[in-house]
Amino acid sequence: MKYILMMSGTKSGVETYKAWSQKDRETHMAVLTGLAKELSASGEFVGTQPLAEPARALLVRGESNGLPITDGVFPEAKEFLLGYWIVDVATPERACAIAGKISSAPGPGGVPTNMAIEVRPFASHGGAA
Amino acid sequence: MKYMLMMNTMRAGQGVPNWPQKDLQAHIAYMKSLRGDLRESGELVAAEGLAFPDQAKLVRAGAGGIPITDGVFPETKEFLAGFWIVDVETPERAYAIAARASAAPGPGGEPLNMPIEARPVMSAPPPEML
Repeated sequence: MKYILMMSGTKSGVETYKAWSQKDRETHMAVLTGLAKELSASGEFVGTQPLAEPARALLVRGESNGLPITDGVFPEAKEFLLGYWIVDVATPERACAIAGKISSAPGPGGVPTNMAIEVRPFASHGGAA
Repeated sequence: MKYMLMMNTMRAGQGVPNWPQKDLQAHIAYMKSLRGDLRESGELVAAEGLAFPDQAKLVRAGAGGIPITDGVFPETKEFLAGFWIVDVETPERAYAIAARASAAPGPGGEPLNMPIEARPVMSAPPPEML
């Protein structure tokens, strides 16, 4: 069964991350890179992707005069998707265990961030996409 | 350049929309046709629909790395209903595709004009984040 593990954060949260020391960022990224390798080795890895920062997000709605209507105005509290992992696992518990590993990636001073990771299965109803 | 187009239209606890069967079928047919067109143009990288928010969990690492799960979300939280990743020549093309997804038909066949968030995908984290 396929699950998506989503890491989200607000614009102000992203600014906080940018203020981490170089060493803290390297340690954090090294743990996440290591996790991707582990998942590849176990055959559970489907994909992972970081997104550009929220400042580059736009909202698009249907057309007017054949052109899309775009704006970049979001509520302050909006949580933006920062990145995701797609895994193909045997059980929901395994998806949650992997999310727990992402959550425990180190932050400033090597302390685990314990940030919340949203875990959701792919649709089986053949819906929207 | 790769873009992710996100349909953040779901709210906590939401399940299958309470639309007439015919309208649901028209919506799904529209989305399938969009997916087919993007595949044909070579712009489709991935498209997925997610399970409804009632199946979402939040996971945090607890003591000793044991995952702690809960399913409690703020009322205001937007849930990702589905996404497309497209590989396009220009940002404008990504927005045009997003607009087409936005205009998918809802009840009575009226375009939903739902907001679609469009954001570039990073090929690698930018140097200032490493």
